[in-house]
Amino acid sequence: MTLGDGTVLELFVDEAQLAASVHAGKLGCTDCHWSISGYPHPPAEFPDRRSISLALYESCKRCHFLNYTRTLESVHFNMLARGHRDAPVCTDCHDAHAITDPYQPRAAISQRCARCHQSIHEAYVKSVHGQALVGEGNPDVPVCISCHRAHDIEDPRTASFKLRTPELCGHCHGDKNLMQKYGISTQVLRTYLSDFHGMTASLLGEKTDLVSIPAVCTDCHGVHDIRAVEDPASPVMRANLVKACRKCHPGASANFPAAWMSHYEPSPEKARLVYYLNQFYRFFIPFVGFGLLLQVLLSLWRLAVNR
Amino acid sequence: MAKRPAPFDELPKGYIIRFNVRERIEHLLVMILFVILLVTGLPQKFHTSGWGHWMIVHFGGIDRLRYVHRFCGVLFTGLFVFHVTTIFYLLRQRRIRPSMIPNLKDYNDAVLMLKYYLGWTDQRPSFDRFDYRQKFEYWGLLMGSLVMIITGWMLYQPMWTTRWLPGQVIPAAKVAHGMEALLALIVLVLWHMYCAHLNPEVFPFDTAIFTGKISIDRMVRDHPLEYARLLAERAAKVAAPEPVEIAAEEAAAGLRGRDTATDDTEAKPDG
Repeated sequence: MTLGDGTVLELFVDEAQLAASVHAGKLGCTDCHWSISGYPHPPAEFPDRRSISLALYESCKRCHFLNYTRTLESVHFNMLARGHRDAPVCTDCHDAHAITDPYQPRAAISQRCARCHQSIHEAYVKSVHGQALVGEGNPDVPVCISCHRAHDIEDPRTASFKLRTPELCGHCHGDKNLMQKYGISTQVLRTYLSDFHGMTASLLGEKTDLVSIPAVCTDCHGVHDIRAVEDPASPVMRANLVKACRKCHPGASANFPAAWMSHYEPSPEKARLVYYLNQFYRFFIPFVGFGLLLQVLLSLWRLAVNR
Repeated sequence: MAKRPAPFDELPKGYIIRFNVRERIEHLLVMILFVILLVTGLPQKFHTSGWGHWMIVHFGGIDRLRYVHRFCGVLFTGLFVFHVTTIFYLLRQRRIRPSMIPNLKDYNDAVLMLKYYLGWTDQRPSFDRFDYRQKFEYWGLLMGSLVMIITGWMLYQPMWTTRWLPGQVIPAAKVAHGMEALLALIVLVLWHMYCAHLNPEVFPFDTAIFTGKISIDRMVRDHPLEYARLLAERAAKVAAPEPVEIAAEEAAAGLRGRDTATDDTEAKPDG
């Protein structure tokens, strides 16, 4: 079939491909190609290859309505609606005929995104998460859609997305059972939220502009290129930390990073001064409080006795 | 500090001046700043609690809350510096007596007062210008303010602080600042509210620090030593051939003269 721009579209479909797809035995050709009801087929005119995809992907919603409506919220559909014809539609990620289980194998998910987002994928596969996924087929590490979601993909450059970062990371890093498997502390979210950055981020409204959001997880640890904290290349390694601080606090001294307790709770081993100061006040405040209360009560008692 | 307090004729009979204008204004400013700092500070300490979060939101967000808190903190620092330098200056000039310095008598007074409360004795201690409770509160406020000011500035300027000090002082300052505030709140509620408001002897409210006036009845009861000294000084002044504008009978009739204020300026020991 010759298209409007002169390219020739091959109409042959490999039956084996269809038989291996998730739709095998469930859907016939005309379930998707519903405009074709007889032979000879009604004439179809398309200006180019992309127009066919854009016209036919709407067929998916006849069954997958929920996921279709989710895509309407996505940054991809938003681009499409603004006239970017290359913005991905269903078939760009899932294919048209050779549709397989999108979660098998798990690494295939990020490879699908990599078709367009190549440089991000390159950074990701070198990260602690990506290495575990590609190298070991790890079932727990996040793939692209774990954070960005699959269908209602939000624009990650917005303030509201950035503000939700601690929640995103905390979804796994606050999960005790999951973190135990890898010997990772689950205090990270709590200690972040109780410090200056986390407290501020948790109290800012959705209307905040992007630049006034304080550091969230990704500002120190990296976004797609997150390294293990033991990795010498990690931006939060003690030797590198001051560089991470200076991104927002230019001129920070070498002492400055220690103002942040590195996700540790104060204890006699870590942040001793903070720990003992806290213990002192926990004793001193009740001591003074009860002492004063006692004197108030005693004076009232004497007053009552006098009368 | 006014050398000469308000004319005595304008005061109702039976009252003398206890606090001068500077002292009254200082108290008013401390009161206002203390309350604003608590209102804007405690929600920051308890931001995860429901009420803390509610207050931050209804104050117009965390940024505005922090701005007001820091602004008042800077003013509070100024007030502290003003107070301390003024006191040092006046002491050097021998224009005030060091009446706030704790001494052995305060300890004995406290012990005697405790015995009195417990009913072991019917004798109450007689106090000078400030009793041990007032000294405790004054020094508590002064030392507490020092802690709050130092740690507050550390938290306000962490970059500057860590140029000189190890980074750990910042979270330590945060602990001290929050806990010290809690302590201040407890002392305020338990002690100051009791001494200046709920105490049956002054209920509903001890007005001396606002009006500057105190009744002679209360002077006799609460500050007899100071009152006796004032009377003695008055008598000495009247006896001396100084151009004092008061009549002897007025002084004898209970310090109703123009110069009868108990203001510290009048109490210099060089008479």
